[in-house]
Amino acid sequence: MVQLRPRASRAPASASAMVDEGQPASEEAEHGLLLGQPSSGAAAEPLEEDGDGDDDLDDEAPEELTFASAQAEARAEERRVRETARRDKTLLKEKRKRREELFIEQKKRKLLPDTVLQKLTTASQTNIKKSPGKLKEDKSQKKNEECEKGNESKKVKEKIQSIGQNKSYLARRLKDQDLRDSRQQAAKAFIQNSLYGPGTNRTTGTQKKQNAKRFKRRWMVRKMKTSKK
Amino acid sequence: MGEFKVHRVRFFNYVPSGIRCVAYNNQSNRLAVSRTDGTVEIYNLSANYFQEKFFPGHESRATEALCWAKGQRLFSAGLNGEIIEYDLQALDIKYSMDAFGGPIWSMAASPSGSQLLVGCEDGSVKLFQINPDKIQFERNFDRQKSRILSLSWHPSGTHIAAGSIDYISVFDIKSGSAVHKMLVDRQYMGVSKRKCIIWGVAFLSDGTVISVDSAGKVQFWDSATGTLVKTHLVANADVQSIAVSDQEDSFVVGTAEGTVFHFQLVSVTSNSSEKQWVRTKPFQHHTHDVRTVAHSPTALISGGTDTHLVIRPLMEKVEVKNYDAALRKITFPHRRLISCSKKRQLLLFQFSHHLDLWRLGSTVATGKHGDTLPLSKDADHLLQLKTKGPENIICSCVSPCGSWIAYSTASRFFLRRLNYEHDNLSLHRVSKMPACLRSAVQIMFSEDSTKLFVASNQGSLHILRLLEGSFKHLHTFQAQSGTVESMCLLAVSPDGNWLAASGTSAGVHVYSVKRLKLHCTVPAYNFPVTALAIAPKTNNLVIAHSDQQIFEYSIPDKQYTEWSRAIQKQGFHHHWLQRDTPITHIGFHPKRPAHILLHDAYMFCIIDKSLPLPNDKTLLYNPLPPTNESDVIRRRTAHAFKISKKYKPLLFMDLLDEGTLVAVERPLDDIIAQLPPPIKKKKFGT
Repeated sequence: MVQLRPRASRAPASASAMVDEGQPASEEAEHGLLLGQPSSGAAAEPLEEDGDGDDDLDDEAPEELTFASAQAEARAEERRVRETARRDKTLLKEKRKRREELFIEQKKRKLLPDTVLQKLTTASQTNIKKSPGKLKEDKSQKKNEECEKGNESKKVKEKIQSIGQNKSYLARRLKDQDLRDSRQQAAKAFIQNSLYGPGTNRTTGTQKKQNAKRFKRRWMVRKMKTSKK
Repeated sequence: MGEFKVHRVRFFNYVPSGIRCVAYNNQSNRLAVSRTDGTVEIYNLSANYFQEKFFPGHESRATEALCWAKGQRLFSAGLNGEIIEYDLQALDIKYSMDAFGGPIWSMAASPSGSQLLVGCEDGSVKLFQINPDKIQFERNFDRQKSRILSLSWHPSGTHIAAGSIDYISVFDIKSGSAVHKMLVDRQYMGVSKRKCIIWGVAFLSDGTVISVDSAGKVQFWDSATGTLVKTHLVANADVQSIAVSDQEDSFVVGTAEGTVFHFQLVSVTSNSSEKQWVRTKPFQHHTHDVRTVAHSPTALISGGTDTHLVIRPLMEKVEVKNYDAALRKITFPHRRLISCSKKRQLLLFQFSHHLDLWRLGSTVATGKHGDTLPLSKDADHLLQLKTKGPENIICSCVSPCGSWIAYSTASRFFLRRLNYEHDNLSLHRVSKMPACLRSAVQIMFSEDSTKLFVASNQGSLHILRLLEGSFKHLHTFQAQSGTVESMCLLAVSPDGNWLAASGTSAGVHVYSVKRLKLHCTVPAYNFPVTALAIAPKTNNLVIAHSDQQIFEYSIPDKQYTEWSRAIQKQGFHHHWLQRDTPITHIGFHPKRPAHILLHDAYMFCIIDKSLPLPNDKTLLYNPLPPTNESDVIRRRTAHAFKISKKYKPLLFMDLLDEGTLVAVERPLDDIIAQLPPPIKKKKFGT
């Protein structure tokens, strides 16, 4: 079995692939090198010949590579690769951090000002404190009651909170309203499809007129025939 | 009688909404009907099938299920996911509760009437407890894969059957889990790609579950074993509804082709005790899908997309075979949707979301009896007022002078002032209407257009004085004692002194407008009032009831008039009493106090109080005899009721001035042309 000398390009590649593993990888690389070493001399000659065919250096002896130098070279390569990887990682980290900050900024801008938020939280607390019977606004209170009772529901509940005592407006989560609307639309589409959709045998206004026209034509033809006779 | 020029109006584009659900209440013999626009109407079947109350519709309330519970409580549920309870006394919605299951497709009340079950879009079946003031969520049953489209309780209340898409589940109430799951074949013989939708299920006390589906089959299942017992293929299209009688010996199904089939439990041979279900009678009274059916002890009730409500009494169940056992088809509204301004010849048409104001055309030509005169000026569409918001318009009115329009929805009252200047029409909004006027059920202007009378759904009457661009609240008459039996109707005397209001069980109240207090009360009658009017000069109050009786009550004398007593003593002609549409409007001739003009959907009649009353032997409907008959014969056959059936179906008819009548017709074909498409049917020869 011919054991080829591991080429210069291959050793760093294997090292870089296992650079995250750290210690075991370098050991393995060394091991590979160790393995390769005794036979390097034996395989070197045919390789050299092929590689440097043009140069025609048959009688020249191959370079004497000491183990130490090769090892040092490999180690340097490894270090370089590790450095680049670490730099890449830190760069990515930085990027991600910056993005997160940007998002937080945007969210802050989107959110209501602090004053309103405070009002909301205090209002919700007072709502829970108040007895259920007091509030006149039936719909919102009923929903709150149901939420508190622990009504089992797999859907996200609509959070309606009234701000202040005058109930001049209600805050409503748009996401829930959209979900409700979309489900209602889907239901309407289902019934429209099952009653009037494809596959149902319905007449259309134009179909009736066409039928009428065809019948009239045939009747006229028949009438002509009988009158001729 | 006199000669009249008749404005024959056919441009009122009235299209009723299709019927979606019916629910029959055995105890009170009332029928609740819900339409596709969200309106819920209550018909009193013992009062000659009169529509006594209704709840206006709402765009988001697409009702899919309607049911009665214990104690005359009415619930509906729809695609907006809410269960709504209706208050039949306050004519309002008590509350609406979200079921949190998505759109609701079906609802059923337990046989005891104390629990309510709803089937939702997400496949869950939810149980609610009906408390005296509200409903309360109890628990969820096992969630199924697809939407629950139909529900039915077992009469003992222990099991329920739920129809879904391609399968039927039988649940046990106590555990809440599905006991059986019965798979339905998609097509009777052969393969079909379309899913089989179980539109209706019914659970009988012997454990049989009857299902109707979109493949046109009626199937009988045994719920104990979960197996199919029998299949009947009744139609080529969907079978969309089923209703079982209380005795469980007959049931009715409605198909998308418009046919209604009656199934009965008959014995196999004449003396055996073994019985089987047999399809006995087909009825074809509808042209479009029959979306809902109900089974009362004596009749089959069906309704669907073609907007008719058909009540078919079953001959074998009816005890007395008289005219009451005839087919009843309710197509046209039982209330007036049109008001008229006589001075300016304007008509106001009420639709569900807008009002149309038209000016009648005029002609200068003359002709003889029966001629059609050419118009010199066409009818003019002056104004279209659209309402903002999802609610339907409950009632509307235009003042006799044509300068005011008032209309109300469930949450607001609107008053508009119109100014006419040289062919230009401008509209001004009168703002800040009092909140007590919302949900008005009847609006009326005084003859001189200075006062506005509003009857609210809570039973109180409001009087407003109208000033140039604003109003002033004059007085409110609080609700009188007595339960609300039907929607309030108002009548104002032409001299502006008297106001009559009907609708309660106490009778018709007459108020004095000058002194702002109750003047007298006409004794109560056991049938609801369908039309009310006060005659000019004599101030006689003419009342028409749903059993076709007419009373004339003198307001100044506080007693019935001589003529009214005479006709009550003799009794009305039997053909008059057999008419099946209610009188919706009463009018008077300004110069002839002896004449009363009234109309229903298929005839109009001028009662001449000076002529003799017809007895049962004479012909009620006797059109003018030919002129070559001798005078003697003409005098002998003439009687007080001059009926003409020339203009029909009539939605409104009134006297504009001494020589002009206006008749608003709505041919049935024009309504059918605007309905959704029906199932294709193969007709012989086409």
